[in-house]
Amino acid sequence: MTGRLMSSKVMINLIAQIKMFFRSPGSVFWTVAFPVLLILLFGAIFSGTGSTKYSLYVQDLDGSPISEEFVDALNSTGVLIINKVDPGIDSDQYIKDNSIASFLTIPQGFSSSFLPEPERQNSTLLLRIDNSSSSSGTVATIVNAASQSINLELAGGSIVVSTAILGISNTAQYNFIDFFLPGVIGLTAMTSTVNWMVGLQTRYRQNGIFKKLATTPITQMDWLVSLILWQIATVFMSVVIILAVGILAFDVHLTLDPISIGIIVLSSALFSAMGLIIARFVKDEETAGAAAGAITFPMMFLAGSFFPLESMPPYLAAIAKAMPLTYVNNGLRDSMIYANTAGAINNLLIVAMLTVVFMVVGAAISTWKQE
Amino acid sequence: MAESVITVQGLVKRYGDLTAVDHIDFEVYRGEVFSMLGPNGAGKTTTVEIMECLRTKTEGDVTILGMDIERKVRDIKKRIGVLPQDFNAFDLLTVKENIEYFGGMFKHQLPADDLIETVNLGEKRDVYFKNLSGGLKQRVGVAISMVNDPDIIFLDEPTTGLDPVARREVWEVIKDLKSKGKTIILTTHYMEEAEVLSDRVGIIDRGKFITMGSPNDIIDRYGTGTTMIVRGGDDTALQRLQGLSSKVERKGNDIVVRLDSKDVLPEAIMRIHEEGVHYEEVQMRRSTLEDVFLTLTGKRLENGEEVKKGKRVKK
Repeated sequence: MTGRLMSSKVMINLIAQIKMFFRSPGSVFWTVAFPVLLILLFGAIFSGTGSTKYSLYVQDLDGSPISEEFVDALNSTGVLIINKVDPGIDSDQYIKDNSIASFLTIPQGFSSSFLPEPERQNSTLLLRIDNSSSSSGTVATIVNAASQSINLELAGGSIVVSTAILGISNTAQYNFIDFFLPGVIGLTAMTSTVNWMVGLQTRYRQNGIFKKLATTPITQMDWLVSLILWQIATVFMSVVIILAVGILAFDVHLTLDPISIGIIVLSSALFSAMGLIIARFVKDEETAGAAAGAITFPMMFLAGSFFPLESMPPYLAAIAKAMPLTYVNNGLRDSMIYANTAGAINNLLIVAMLTVVFMVVGAAISTWKQE
Repeated sequence: MAESVITVQGLVKRYGDLTAVDHIDFEVYRGEVFSMLGPNGAGKTTTVEIMECLRTKTEGDVTILGMDIERKVRDIKKRIGVLPQDFNAFDLLTVKENIEYFGGMFKHQLPADDLIETVNLGEKRDVYFKNLSGGLKQRVGVAISMVNDPDIIFLDEPTTGLDPVARREVWEVIKDLKSKGKTIILTTHYMEEAEVLSDRVGIIDRGKFITMGSPNDIIDRYGTGTTMIVRGGDDTALQRLQGLSSKVERKGNDIVVRLDSKDVLPEAIMRIHEEGVHYEEVQMRRSTLEDVFLTLTGKRLENGEEVKKGKRVKK
């Protein structure tokens, strides 16, 4: 009977929270719109990764069939967009006026490098690059590779070692948006639950609802269980929307298996408990958002939601290891992209352990009773 | 006297060096309205919140319906109803949904529709709580405090912040509860509220009861008695009234006579109702709890704050 009564209190609070959620356009908007905006924004920026092209301005002062052939060779790499510049133009002024990041000058007499000895003359390709541009290194590598291959050919050499490039996956070719989507799921699970929990706990404590609840038989445990159940449901709502947008807009290839579902469930509970702990130290509703943001915002960037941890400096990667979101992101990627079951289970266990710790601490420090 | 449902003995509550409740003793009897009357910070809310199992006590014994407040918290909660100070319910649930929500927390609950009728909120049944006025919100709070059909109802400053009309509407609801035989503990800093609603009043100041009893008893004991005001009374009237009471004084055009006993009233009327004595009218004024508070503490209360000679008293 006690068990039935307890579960009925959980149900009553769960139903009340659902009603209030759907009556609050703001809550619905953020649950739906936040992840969608993130995917569309980042998807639009990065979805071309892998087939990105870089602009290269070429001024051919040689004007010979050989120099034209060299430009065609650069063009045929498929990575460069070649923009030809009139040989009569002052290159320095042109670069300045047009904010150009990569400018290649083919010197006069370039074709004489291809004459047989002893008429052959060395020539130097002049590549001016903007070192602050992220693409300049790539352009330099490509131009250098093209000139090296000419040198090889002129020296009469042949290619002995070549490289074949394949995507990292057993089943399909994955791109940035596939990598990014589990990160969006992880960070949505974190931001929506932490923000909601901190806001709700602080508001109800401040406006006296907790005082009223404390005079009834509902226990803190009933209350917390129902809130966590509701947060799991909200996170799954977001996940469905994230996957739908990912599939429709960017043709993502992700699998939602029992392990990833388990990680999503546990992370919802983990971050709800984290919100509970933060709320304990927040005085009023006005500071609740800032307090939640102060914890979630750095974690969002440090836990590899947007970029792989490998690309971070070692000290940041070390900090990332202390972030619960890191294990959520890693676990979701292991299960949803890489089909790395062992890695996914490992991360699932870490998330489960953290969930238990956070829930015990959260429940222990939360109280309705006043001193 | 009827059966005692609350007993408080030697109750003390300290917050560091501050003693909010200082060795108080009292009992509340079944079916009565017992009011704790006093200024803000007197210890009223701390005392009721200890009885409601919301706060811990420092010392003393408190039993509710014979159950110790520390050992029988769950059992006590089932049998009391509470309207906390600054009550709030869920903004985005309707009146009915809020009542049903809190009702659902109890094994035994009264139908929400019956409670809505009791507090006269039939027309607001499906209105969100956030869209109600302050007075209506308090009535929802009273309905919720009754949802488990409790033996004892605690109403902590139920009319603070309400306008006079809304305050009287809440009074009607409380009178209705009283007529249903509920035991009610009311805290207030409104003298009139305590006088109108209570069977017994305990006046509390600085953590201690300074007097306790029925409003009439307290007024008789500490009040200034009955005052007769003779409007526009002439000097002949003044002369005739002097000697009747120890306190006869002229205040502008009026003569104010403090009657030591109600028995002298006919004599006073007879003395001025004679030829050659001129006056416009006679008014009678009885002491109020406000006069008692002034007599006992030397202070008046304005919206819960103590005022002494026109200045707020700092604590």
